[in-house]
Amino acid sequence: MLKIENLHVRIAGKEILKGLSLTVNAGEVHAIMGPNGAGKSTLGNVLAGREGYEVTAGSVEYAGSNLLELEPEQRAAAGIFLAFQYPVEIPGVNNTYFLRAALNAQRKVRGEAELDSMQFLKRVREKLAVLQLKDELLHRAVNEGFSGGEKKRNEIFQMALLEPKLAILDETDSGLDIDALKMVADGVNAMRDAARAFVVITHYQRLLDYIVPDFVHVLADGRIVESGDAGLAHKLEEHGYAWVAERKLAHGSLAGAA
Amino acid sequence: MAPAALLEEFGPADAREREESWRYSRPALRALAQQPFVAADPQAAVDDPLRERFAWAHTDALRAVFVNGVFSASNSDLSALATVVRLRHAATDRTILTISGDCAEPLHLVYLSLPGAAPSRWSAALDIEATRGNAQLIEHHLGDPGSDVLGALRSRVTVSAGATLRTTTLCDLADSASLYRRTDTVLTDDATLLSTHVLLGGRLQRHDIGVELAGARSRLDSRGVFALRGRQHVDTHMDVRHLARDTACDVLWRGVADERARGIFHGAITVAKGADGADAQLSNKNLLLSALAEIDTQPALEIHADEVKAAHGATVGQLDERALFYLRSRGIGLTEARRMLVAAFAAVALDRVEHAWLRAHLDTLLAPRVGAERA
Repeated sequence: MLKIENLHVRIAGKEILKGLSLTVNAGEVHAIMGPNGAGKSTLGNVLAGREGYEVTAGSVEYAGSNLLELEPEQRAAAGIFLAFQYPVEIPGVNNTYFLRAALNAQRKVRGEAELDSMQFLKRVREKLAVLQLKDELLHRAVNEGFSGGEKKRNEIFQMALLEPKLAILDETDSGLDIDALKMVADGVNAMRDAARAFVVITHYQRLLDYIVPDFVHVLADGRIVESGDAGLAHKLEEHGYAWVAERKLAHGSLAGAA
Repeated sequence: MAPAALLEEFGPADAREREESWRYSRPALRALAQQPFVAADPQAAVDDPLRERFAWAHTDALRAVFVNGVFSASNSDLSALATVVRLRHAATDRTILTISGDCAEPLHLVYLSLPGAAPSRWSAALDIEATRGNAQLIEHHLGDPGSDVLGALRSRVTVSAGATLRTTTLCDLADSASLYRRTDTVLTDDATLLSTHVLLGGRLQRHDIGVELAGARSRLDSRGVFALRGRQHVDTHMDVRHLARDTACDVLWRGVADERARGIFHGAITVAKGADGADAQLSNKNLLLSALAEIDTQPALEIHADEVKAAHGATVGQLDERALFYLRSRGIGLTEARRMLVAAFAAVALDRVEHAWLRAHLDTLLAPRVGAERA
C-alpha cells in the first residue's frame, strides 16, 4: 500500500529525514517511535502533503502511484488521513459544515454520490458514540474551545467518519489521560481491518498497550534504525532511546537503516 | 471640480486634520477629481436586472428608492409603512426620517447611483430621529456600471433616551462608482445604536462615522466588513466620543483585500474628561489575499477620564497556512478551503444582524468577494 524508499527531506534548508525507508501493507499497524527531533512528525506531514517540506531524494509510492505528486486534498481523496499532533482551531467554520464538505469533496473525487444532510448526520451519530464525544461539539467551530483531549478525540472522530485507507496518527496520545487514550484506541481498533493500514507515531509505549502494532520501528536522526515486533516497544520503554544508539554503536554502525 | 474643493467638501473643516484624514486616500481622490463632473440625472431609468438586486421580498412595501440622490416615488413602495415611521422630503435632496416606536421589519432605503453619458455626481442629506422603541433600518447603496458616479450622503442621526436604532448599511457599488458618506450620530441617555456596515466594490468609498455617546449609559455596537478586489478602494474613519458616564462602545471591523485593492480603517475612540465608567472596545482585523493588496489600520485611543475599561487591537495578516493545510488534508480543495476561511473571517462582523433573511442576503453578496473565483 505504502512504499517509502530512501526518503530525504529538508525543511528550511535543514535535512530532517536522511534516507528513510518503510513499507506498509494493507491490514498492518506500524508504530514509529523515537526521540524528539528524530523526524517523526516530518514523516507524517510529508505523507499528508504539507507545504515547506522539500524532498531531495527518494520516493513514496502509494497504491501504485507517486504520492509526492499529489496535492493534499488529492491524497485525502485517495484515502490518506493525518491525525494532527496539534489540531488547528478554525474560528467561524462550523464543525458539521466542515466535515460534510470534506466527506463530500472526497466522495466527489472518487465518483461516489454525495451524502445529503440526513445520511450524513446518521453517519455522524454512529461515529460520535464510539468516541464518546458530545453532540454539542458539532455545532461549534472546528476545534475552537475544545480541550486538548477533545481535539485529539475529534481527530479520531474525523478519521472514523472519513474512513481512510491509510491513517497516520501523529502523537495522538500526547496530552491524553488514560480514559481518553482508551477511547482513541477503541476508535482505532474498531477500524482495523484487512483493507486498512495505520502508521502510529508516538513518543511513548503506553498507547501501544491499547493499539497493539504488528511492527515497531525506531526513528532516530532521520532514519529507521531498528525494526521489530510489539516487543520492541517494551524494550525501548525499559532501556530508553539511548539503548538503540548504543547498540548501533556496538555494532559499529549508525548508518544501517532498516 | 478641483481636488481641493472635493477635500473641503468631504472631510474635517480643519485644514491639518483634513490633510491627515485623507492621507491614504488622497491619490485616489485626486485621480477622481481630475474629471469634470456634471449633475447626475434623478430621472435615470432603473432597469430590471438592477431592480432585482434590491427588490427583496421582505422589504417589498417598505422601500424608499432614491435615484441619484432624489426620492423616486415611482420606484418606491411604502404602503406597509408603520404609523410610527414618518418619511418627509424637506427638499428634493433632503429627507427626514422619524421613527417613534417599534418596527417589526426594517425600512429599506435604496440609494441608486446611475451613470450618465459623462461623469456625474449627486449629493443628498438624510436626517434620522429614533425617538422611542426599537427602530430598524437598512441603507442600501448600489448602481449600474458605466461612467463615474460620485454620490455623497450626509446624515445626522439622533437616538433619544431609551430608544434603540438598528442599522445595516450595505454599499454594493459598481467599480465605476464612488461614494462619500458622512454620518454623525448622537446618543442620549440609555440610547443604543447597533450598526453593521458591509462595504463592497467602488472606485472610492469613504465613510466618516462619528458617534457621540452623549447620554449616560448610551451604547454603540459597531460592526463592519469590507471585502475588496480589483482596484477597489474603501476608507473608513470612525470617531467615537464617550462624553457621559457609563457609556460603552464595542467596535468590531474586518477587512479583506485581494488583487490590487486598498482598504483603510481608522478607528478613533476618545473618552472625555468626566466620562467615568466608560467601556471602549475596538477590534480590527484584516486579511490580505494578494501581495499587491494593501490595508492600513490605525486604532487610536485617547482617554481623559478615570475608571475606564478600554481595549483595542488591530492586525493585518494573511490566511493561516496551518488552517488551510488542515482543511485540505481532509479533502477540501484549495479554492474551497480558501473561501471557507475568508468567509468565516468576514462573517464575524455580521453577528449583530438580526433577521435571518437579511443575513442570507449579506452572505450571498459576500460569498463571491471572498476568493471563490480566484485560482
